Amino acid sequence: MPETFRFKSPEEIREEEIEARIKERGPEGEILGGIIFEEEEVIDPETGEKTIKRYIYIGNPYEERPLIIKLETYATKEDIEAIKREIIPMRESFEILVAMAMTYKRRQPLLIEAPTAIGKTYLAEKFTELLYGRGVKPLDFYCSGQTDVSELMGKWVPKAETEEEKRRWNEFLELSETQIQISQIAQEVEQKTWLSPEQKLNLIRTKLQELAKQAGLSERTQWQFQYGVVPKAMGLIKNPDGSFSFDEQKGEGFILHIEEVGLAEPQVIDVLLKLRGKRGQLAEEIQLWENGGRKIKSGPKFWVFFSTNPPEEYLARNEVDPALARGVVFKRMTELSEESLRLASDYYFTYKLGKKPEVKPEGCILDIYNHSDIGKEVAKVIAAFHNDLNKELKKGEKGRRQRIPLTLDDMARVADALIYNQIRDKETGRLDLTATLINLINFYYIDRLADEDLKETMKNNLKELLEGDTGKIEFEGKIITRKEIFDILVERASLPEEEKRRMKEKEEEEQRRKLEQAKNDAEDALDALLKNPNIPDSIKKLLSE
Amino acid sequence: MDKEQLNTFILLLQNVRKQPSRIFDLGLIVKEPGSELQADEIFNEVRKIVDIEQIIYDETAIDEKVFEKIIKAFEGNKWIFLEIKKDISSPLLNQLKHLANYNSFQLLDYRGKDVFETKMPESSRVIVFAERDFIENKITYPHFYTLFGPVLSLE
Repeated sequence: MPETFRFKSPEEIREEEIEARIKERGPEGEILGGIIFEEEEVIDPETGEKTIKRYIYIGNPYEERPLIIKLETYATKEDIEAIKREIIPMRESFEILVAMAMTYKRRQPLLIEAPTAIGKTYLAEKFTELLYGRGVKPLDFYCSGQTDVSELMGKWVPKAETEEEKRRWNEFLELSETQIQISQIAQEVEQKTWLSPEQKLNLIRTKLQELAKQAGLSERTQWQFQYGVVPKAMGLIKNPDGSFSFDEQKGEGFILHIEEVGLAEPQVIDVLLKLRGKRGQLAEEIQLWENGGRKIKSGPKFWVFFSTNPPEEYLARNEVDPALARGVVFKRMTELSEESLRLASDYYFTYKLGKKPEVKPEGCILDIYNHSDIGKEVAKVIAAFHNDLNKELKKGEKGRRQRIPLTLDDMARVADALIYNQIRDKETGRLDLTATLINLINFYYIDRLADEDLKETMKNNLKELLEGDTGKIEFEGKIITRKEIFDILVERASLPEEEKRRMKEKEEEEQRRKLEQAKNDAEDALDALLKNPNIPDSIKKLLSE
Repeated sequence: MDKEQLNTFILLLQNVRKQPSRIFDLGLIVKEPGSELQADEIFNEVRKIVDIEQIIYDETAIDEKVFEKIIKAFEGNKWIFLEIKKDISSPLLNQLKHLANYNSFQLLDYRGKDVFETKMPESSRVIVFAERDFIENKITYPHFYTLFGPVLSLE
């Protein structure tokens, strides 16, 4: 059968080029792609005017055939490069970024249920920066059992004149009866459909005056409506100077991250359900009965990202509300894999993220951030210890009601403290890396434990990992403890430059000598074979060739 | 009180910035059940090391006043010693979380701005002080400890 040929269209060639860049890896297999920046010339169909638009492409570089999402951005190429350097290229990070990009593009709300350590908040910030440029943060709202509906949607506030009046009103607001009365006002207004918007507002003001009287405020109190975080995010406009303005009808909309939504009470969930729109997208507008039924339009760039920790991380905690889960794109993720944990540890302890100190700081004996060979060994120890402790903590701790899961921040703290808080070996005068690490791990990981038995076990495990027989690993052909490895590496790194140069020359000379020796040995062996009378001439001919 | 421990705690708060965003931690000082130490004594010890402002969050505290005090302390490059004596309200928790995640305050409709954002200066830090029993039994937010980096436990 004849082979069929087909020419690839320019679009197809372009797609393949983008995919190759998304999947790009460095010489050691490290991820370089995932996020790419492009500028494109766009011609306005009406005016014919040419403009340059900026785009980012996001895809999961771990996938053989990744879905790639293209989004317009305000960020510059330099911004994107800097942001990329701040993201540890773990598989889970790209899964989250791709989910964000896909749902953002389709105006679908996203809910990610994942453990604390996975970096939901951090990636929400980075995603916002990828779209708006460095330093721009999403609007953030954190739910708790105490979250009030008014914080999300809005509230009437009295223009209290004196501190005493403010205090009285705040105390009054905290009463549960007050909260009930305020929600009753909104319900009453909602039911009186025959009233005009103006009449509804008048009714609200009358009712509020009654409340003010109950709180001990003057009957002539002036009131103003303050929008909550949801309508604000729907109508925000990001100004070129970085500030925000708000327009309830013509706003662009912005990114809203509602965190720990699993902690929200049912009345808060009811309010969040108002954000559901047609065909799984976000609502195009919401109506605020608290404000006389006024409608707020949702701008084209309004997007909501909900996040929560899995129920097993809490005691006495509800799962995500099923109605909310149905109304969003729901993604459940598990713990970071051990591979990702090792990758993160390697990035932290080789100081690949962000800038390294330009001058050796006070308290720093050895500029460990310039010695990635040491960092790589430390990273292995921390990743192993972190993983072990995390497994123990998941079982819950004796003597503590709250659970304290580990996060990648714990590693990041040890990595940074390792620069500034080093202990000197009194005998050698060099950095005592083992003692320093034990000290910092105790401070950042072990001191938090309430369970004394677990504390003792983890201290012993750490000692065994660093100095015991079971912690021994192969290093340069020998089986030795991590402490011994650290001592060797620190000694090498602490040598004066002249000494290091001499050592390197000596090593190279040794290598050359070994190569020469190997070559001579091979020649001798060949010579011996050629002189061997038992070997046929045909073989000898082949050997000499 | 172990002054060396307190010094290490302050030093780590001052120096350590978490990769990759170079964020400073919030610090937590916990008074354990057997401890005789009072918040004022700790505050006075910390005051000998850094320029710090004390804020007491108790039944009489109003959130917006607390925010004002914190912002003013930041404007004066001061540290904050926030003594928690009542369960943390949702608005304060929101700001503490924002401080922990981004080292900044984010308030709506504040000082004439739709979104008011102010960064914690490099020379300021926040230390929260609370009793262990109070944290375990009165604070309803289940992830309270995760707001903090270094924790100093006063036995």
